[in-house]
Amino acid sequence: MKIYISGLYSGTNPQPGIGIARSLRQAYPQARLVGVEYSNRCSGIHWHDFDEIWLQRPWEELNLKSHGKEIEKILEAGGLWISANDLEVIWLASVFPDGHANLLTPSSDALSQVSKPAITAHKLLPVGIPVYVTNELSDWDLHAFCRQNDWKVWLKGPYYEAVRAGNWAEFQDVRVKLSKAWSTDKLFLQSHVTGYEESISLSAYNGELLSSVQMRKRDLTEISKTWAGEISPVPAELLNPLRQMIKELNWTGGAELEMVRDADDQLWLLEINPRYPAWIHGATIAGHNLPAGLIEGATGLRAQKSPAMGDEFTRVVLEVPVRHDYPLPSLPEPFGGGIGHSLKHPSGLLGFANRLHEAGFAENNNCDGHGRIVKNDLSGVPKSFVEDITEVDFQNVQTPSFLFLEKTACRLFRRAGRLSKKLSTDQIQLTNAYSIKTNPDGRLIKLAREAGFLVETISLLEVDKALKAGFKSNQIILNGPGKWWRREFLPAEPLRAVFCDSVADLRRLVASMLIGELKAEIAGVRLRTPNFPSRFGIPIDTPEVFKTLIDSIEILPRECGFGIHFHMASSNVGVEKWWHLFESVLKWCSSIEALSGRIIQVLDVGGGWFPDDWQDDSDAHFAKAVAKVQEYLPHVQQIISEPGKALAQPSMALAMRILEIQDFSGAATDVVVDGSIAELPMYFLHPHRILYQNARTGMWQSLGRGKAHLLGRLCMENDIVASNVNVPMDAEPGDLLVFCDAGAYDRSMSYAFGRG
Amino acid sequence: MPLGAVKKFNNLDQKVFGNSSLLSKKVFGKWQNFPISMISHHGRMCCEIAREWFNAMDSSQLSGSSIFSGPRWIRQRYDWGPTKWKIHWCEVVRQKSLDCGAQAALAHEVFIMRGVECYQAQLVQQFSVEATMQWAERWRAEETSVFWINENLIYHECCAIVIDNGEIKLWDASSSCWINPKQFSGYGTLRALRLFAEPTKIAIFKWGEHVITANLWQEIKKDSVSAIVK
Repeated sequence: MKIYISGLYSGTNPQPGIGIARSLRQAYPQARLVGVEYSNRCSGIHWHDFDEIWLQRPWEELNLKSHGKEIEKILEAGGLWISANDLEVIWLASVFPDGHANLLTPSSDALSQVSKPAITAHKLLPVGIPVYVTNELSDWDLHAFCRQNDWKVWLKGPYYEAVRAGNWAEFQDVRVKLSKAWSTDKLFLQSHVTGYEESISLSAYNGELLSSVQMRKRDLTEISKTWAGEISPVPAELLNPLRQMIKELNWTGGAELEMVRDADDQLWLLEINPRYPAWIHGATIAGHNLPAGLIEGATGLRAQKSPAMGDEFTRVVLEVPVRHDYPLPSLPEPFGGGIGHSLKHPSGLLGFANRLHEAGFAENNNCDGHGRIVKNDLSGVPKSFVEDITEVDFQNVQTPSFLFLEKTACRLFRRAGRLSKKLSTDQIQLTNAYSIKTNPDGRLIKLAREAGFLVETISLLEVDKALKAGFKSNQIILNGPGKWWRREFLPAEPLRAVFCDSVADLRRLVASMLIGELKAEIAGVRLRTPNFPSRFGIPIDTPEVFKTLIDSIEILPRECGFGIHFHMASSNVGVEKWWHLFESVLKWCSSIEALSGRIIQVLDVGGGWFPDDWQDDSDAHFAKAVAKVQEYLPHVQQIISEPGKALAQPSMALAMRILEIQDFSGAATDVVVDGSIAELPMYFLHPHRILYQNARTGMWQSLGRGKAHLLGRLCMENDIVASNVNVPMDAEPGDLLVFCDAGAYDRSMSYAFGRG
Repeated sequence: MPLGAVKKFNNLDQKVFGNSSLLSKKVFGKWQNFPISMISHHGRMCCEIAREWFNAMDSSQLSGSSIFSGPRWIRQRYDWGPTKWKIHWCEVVRQKSLDCGAQAALAHEVFIMRGVECYQAQLVQQFSVEATMQWAERWRAEETSVFWINENLIYHECCAIVIDNGEIKLWDASSSCWINPKQFSGYGTLRALRLFAEPTKIAIFKWGEHVITANLWQEIKKDSVSAIVK
């Protein structure tokens, strides 16, 4: 019996070929094992269990057609083939569409049902699939997915590789690298599941489940690969559906189901690999020789028993002699000034992936991963944006220029006003507050006042601005570390609330109030919550400071009410995390109230809401929040909600014009614009929806993702206002680009630069 | 004995369930009557502030995870090391290091506050003489009791949470992990267990394949069941 085994890479992220060979040698001492590899740099070719090595040229240069014919000859001659390489399995399924009795790999149809991320075959199993979307979605929607999943997301390649993206800048960077490495944009984003990793490995032949084991990881490498594990039988509640799934898939070969078990004991399926796992010999050590079971099932030849030596295994590093006929290749020269030798994927897997992609194996089907077509037109932009923008007379607009989207802004402020009225009760009043620093534009401040907002200020200059804009003193909230800046603007009348940023600030406030310098209806503190890095508020993560805080609250004047202020940018920490944080703050407040003996009358919460998160289901979320506040803090009379950028960001856009288009053959297009990062300083923090107007036709369209980079006018290396956008083929200098979603910190933090 | 002075005495084995076998006693005999660790309260604001702080900290650290998640943050905040008993809430939260009894008592507090059914538990774990010698030296250097060490065996504490219909998991707060019910011989394994439940009721729990009777020391071995079940 001659068995060909591929996938011999044996680095820190090994393939299973060596483990398969070790297991088969134990079960079939007389079998002739042939190691198949595509690089003499894969150390597995030197493993002593192989009787011979069939070394092929790397995948990127291999003649696939003739290689397929050679494999066919081997199979016809009675050789058995176990592939331990995902890409090879995919390719073999296309070479042998009707299968072959000696080819121990699954069919194309079976593979399509276990392909990531949907893994449609999973429906029979008692497992969930972590939520995911494809990279086909617009950047706007991908950013939303990341926020909804608290930025605990993985960007995954079509076959291998998953990289964590903790913020938008990281996501963009990782996407460029993965797309380039795997020669495809067919990537997907999947939420992270916290828990313990475990796997099931199995052998099957023509739809019959021959054997299976469960493995719980007990030690991991730096990239979460198994280093030690515990083997046990697959529990009945999984085994029966697994058997059914294998039957329906008509599966042949090895497989591995990679899963995570969360703290509530729910299993989440991450992927089904169409081959054995690299730890497969660990199962043999525990008495479950799966590769032997496969050979026995396929040939009927009885395997020798593999005695169980325990139910745990671990790995060690071994040095083995190099085969004389395959001496070690020389190390490639490091690139000039470079670090390391660039030896990843020695068998040319990336090149192979590229060839499969070109042959249509990883087609870009323009779907979101759930069968819904992704549209990339003006329908993805709010109607009011289009109405506002198309009403502008751009002939008279000197670009770059911010555009005030009046209809959009009015709608947002009015809606916020209605929402607060709707959720207020006789016991508790919900009041909006507009943070002047988000965008001090007078038109927005006016809208806030008209919609019944209070105003949040961070300096006495801002207090003065609010008073001049028509706010009464008792409609103003003062907070932040710079609240005493420009004392000459201290108002004579009492403010609505003052929140202290530190214990020292609190003592200063008390002193100021005692001499009548500053008056406020509510005096309170801002909390710096544990686990979320912030420079603001009073930290409460040590018992010592917490006690100091409790002691300090007692010195606040009894004539005024007491309040707590908690602000954290929801767009940065994630939507669900923000709500969990909110609830934990209520717990802290409840403790503070009980320990200090001061009743909390006002709770000021916010901010940094991404517009869509604040608008989509804010009614339900805020109604729940009000109920929670009443549950934890029954004496609260007013909740001040500061929506942050949720209202300001959509209210302005930035118009710019194309100055020059530089086309590089076979590479990205560089489009120079008259805008810059000086007008769009938040370019790296979140995506902006971009509209394009052809100056000749006057037609508007929305820009999707593509290969162009929009370079700012500044002579600064990092002045790239957008990357990977699809600029129309007929675009010309003078055409207009409008960056939406620029009304918050893009506007307020924009600066004059390079203007002479 | 400083430990005995402050810890709750609980000797239900003899009173309720009778003697365990002689062989088992070799494993846990030294700690037959050893009380479980309890954190004391001065009955004043100092301890109340500390306890409130601790529980609020857990709500922050949990960050939306399952209430059944092990509170790993406790061990991250407090190293494992000798603790001078008796210890109060206002003292325990300010320590740099805490022994297994204090860490387990804090974890127990966390689970109870989260609303999880949870019990304190005593364990005997096996290590090696070399390991226990090292620990004994360290504990003696800080003038704390080494009663918890007996040759290659050590007394240890953890907490048991009920996850489903009498099925428990054991959280080892000072190692930040769930104890593996399949390992009961060799270095680092659990050899005996006594779980404290209400003394008025006889509670039976399932831990992996083991049947555990509350308030009774029992040796853990393959398919171990308590004397009362046998």
